[in-house]
Amino acid sequence: MSTVFLGGALVAAAVTLFILQPILSGLHASLDRAEDELTDTEARKRVALLALRDVEYDFLAGKLDEKDYLSLKADLTAEALEALEADAEGSEPHFLDDDVEAEITKIRAALRSGLMCVSCGFGNDDGSHFCSECGQQLKMGAVG
Amino acid sequence: MTILGEYALWIALPISVWGMLLGYVGGRTQRGDYVLSAERSIYAVFFLLVLASLGIVSAFLGDKFEYWYIASYSNREMEFFYKVTGLWAGQRGSLLFWAVILAFFSTLCVFLNRKKNREFMPYVAGVLQTILTFFLVVLLFADVNPFEQLAFTPANGQGLNPQLQNYWMTIHPPTLYLGFTAFTIPFAFAVAALLNGRLDARWIELTRRWILLSWLFLAVGIIFGMRWAYEELGWGGYWFWDPVENASLLPWLTATAFLHSIQIQENRGMLKVWNMSLVLLTFLLTIFATFLTRSGLIESVHSFAQELKIAYIFLSFMGVVLLACILLIIYRLPKLQSENSIQSFLSRESAFLFNNLILLGAAFAVFWGTIFPLVAEGVTGQQVSVGPPFFEKVNFPIGLVLLALAGIGPVIAWRRATKRNLQKNFQIPIMVGCFVAIALWIAGARHGLALVTWSVCAFVLTVIATEFWKGTRARARIEGEGFAVALFHLVTRNRRRWGGYIVHVGIVMIYFAFAGAAYNVDERQHVLPGDQINITSPFGHIYTLTYEGLSVSLGRGQRNLLWQAIATVSVEQDGVAKGILTTEKRQYVTSDQLMTEVGIRSTVREDLYLILSAMDDVDGALSANSSAQGIDLQVLVKPFVLWIWAGGLILALGTVIALWPSVDRRRRSNRPELEAVTTGAPAIAGAAR
Repeated sequence: MSTVFLGGALVAAAVTLFILQPILSGLHASLDRAEDELTDTEARKRVALLALRDVEYDFLAGKLDEKDYLSLKADLTAEALEALEADAEGSEPHFLDDDVEAEITKIRAALRSGLMCVSCGFGNDDGSHFCSECGQQLKMGAVG
Repeated sequence: MTILGEYALWIALPISVWGMLLGYVGGRTQRGDYVLSAERSIYAVFFLLVLASLGIVSAFLGDKFEYWYIASYSNREMEFFYKVTGLWAGQRGSLLFWAVILAFFSTLCVFLNRKKNREFMPYVAGVLQTILTFFLVVLLFADVNPFEQLAFTPANGQGLNPQLQNYWMTIHPPTLYLGFTAFTIPFAFAVAALLNGRLDARWIELTRRWILLSWLFLAVGIIFGMRWAYEELGWGGYWFWDPVENASLLPWLTATAFLHSIQIQENRGMLKVWNMSLVLLTFLLTIFATFLTRSGLIESVHSFAQELKIAYIFLSFMGVVLLACILLIIYRLPKLQSENSIQSFLSRESAFLFNNLILLGAAFAVFWGTIFPLVAEGVTGQQVSVGPPFFEKVNFPIGLVLLALAGIGPVIAWRRATKRNLQKNFQIPIMVGCFVAIALWIAGARHGLALVTWSVCAFVLTVIATEFWKGTRARARIEGEGFAVALFHLVTRNRRRWGGYIVHVGIVMIYFAFAGAAYNVDERQHVLPGDQINITSPFGHIYTLTYEGLSVSLGRGQRNLLWQAIATVSVEQDGVAKGILTTEKRQYVTSDQLMTEVGIRSTVREDLYLILSAMDDVDGALSANSSAQGIDLQVLVKPFVLWIWAGGLILALGTVIALWPSVDRRRRSNRPELEAVTTGAPAIAGAAR
């Protein structure tokens, strides 16, 4: 029994020392944002870019009208830019969403070529004027 | 070891209170040493609670019946496995188990965030320690101390309730507890955000995986519970709207709502108060679930406890948390204003909002049905029960609307969608849904609700399949990839979206199976050896069941089994032999009641489910009297039950995909590429407006 009691006392002492040590010896936990964390503006830009990517896919999948697509795209690009400009005033960004941006760029290039049907999302062969999937007239360079 | 475990529990309380106070004070005064001490206190409490749990397990293994808990839930004959899992077999142990899991998640959270999200961590540590303190107070002062000793040492314990001696039952409670406790982390971050005023979507981004993890454990825990009820309770069903089942469903419903509504905050900066309220509500419901399970306030198959003192402590805690959070939300209201408004009724955010309202409606109906008997008894003194018909009547239509929304949501774009596009996108799925209904009608299905459910299932599946098809095709074309690679990249590049769709497929499978219950066949007959029962399956084939006889084996107390009577039934399907099924009655040393073991033959189409309902002459059968072989045999044919478990697997797979860390965030490499996307935006914006 006394051995167990001694064991308990040792555990209590060890644990108490462990939690008091920072205060006794002046060890500090950081309370600031770490160097490699996303800043607020970076996070905002990222959300805007991801939303932009969704919009591109939604347009490609025929969920959005051309008019809505253009206005949403403009809004989201403005949001991304706004975040970017706010960021430029502060420190250098730690992350760039190159991959998301590259993806968006590719979708836009496909749309601009006019071969991706904006009605059903089907990718047509070079020289097509109408979508071979749904018959929609293809508009070269009209969007994107 | 056991005594050391008890000491550890007592040492944990002051450590936890210390950590709680230093967390809040450290956050307020920005003292790094205080915060480090608070964080270390979480590690310390985890260590102490592990010691306490080991103390209980060693008492189980050492048959220390001088402890009330061991004497009540174990005996010498119990198997090793059940002695180890005895930690969560009863109220006292499971409260300790709950605390140790919470301490584990808290430790994990503090460790993972030791170098990041530092502005949240002081308050996160404070909140986590507050909840740990509450559980320690309950364990030590609410007459539920698992280390409480009896005045004498019984020669043997009472043993575990036989119904709990089942493998599903050993993994079902821990899984649910993992779900309940994991949700404490998002709650702690939400409160930390309220306290430090960082009320953008950051706390959600930081805790998204915790929310998904908690949701996954809750879902899987609920399905394990259904499986246990189906295999072990012996009445042929998997869900009875039992108060404790309901209690686990409630936080799952609100967590589901939360998972959808946080996307609106992340994408649109809206619904901040709503999300705060949902996280608070879900957390309170996890505590409510423990309270209901472990207070004995509402009697059910799960409740083996009677104490009321613990109920008052739980209710007070929930009241204080609720009040404190409401005050905090009111205090922070100016910072919780929406940054945007819903642009169109036809948008994904309004579909999500609608989904939220419906889920909350369902949660409220379940909550009310669960606590109404208690309120009514309190007011009138009369015992009332709210049975499955109430819950089914209320939840069937709600469930159907939710299912339909799972098909509508993906097709609607964020912000706004046009009617013409919707019509175009819904045309084929609606046609498929109608076609399925008509085809099933022609095939002879006449149950209205089942037909509607299957038709909506087909609609949702078509929408999801179309989404996958269109996405893969577009990606294959744009990236010049093969279809399989394109599909893989499509999913991995946006795991959250496509993982979510896979979860929806799992949910559709579960609904599909639920609707099959409309075609359950249920017959009970008295049979003697050699008698045959012919049952027609809803699919038209005929089962011929031949009762071969009853064999009795006397266990003489080994593994707590006194005797078991096994009825053997050979099964033929349309004249083709399909093997043998057995169903049993068992008498355990530890229970006066006879237990039933059912016989199940599962196929993709249906389950054949046999229940040995009653024996003509138990004493005669035990004394090997050949004339005492008559039994009542209940035969059920239950379509599509296997799809529930398969749907659960798909649901888990989808959640894991959504949970998996994304690889699409890379370190800064070359800045110029950014310009390609954003160049000329102001001009485009001007033109579009």
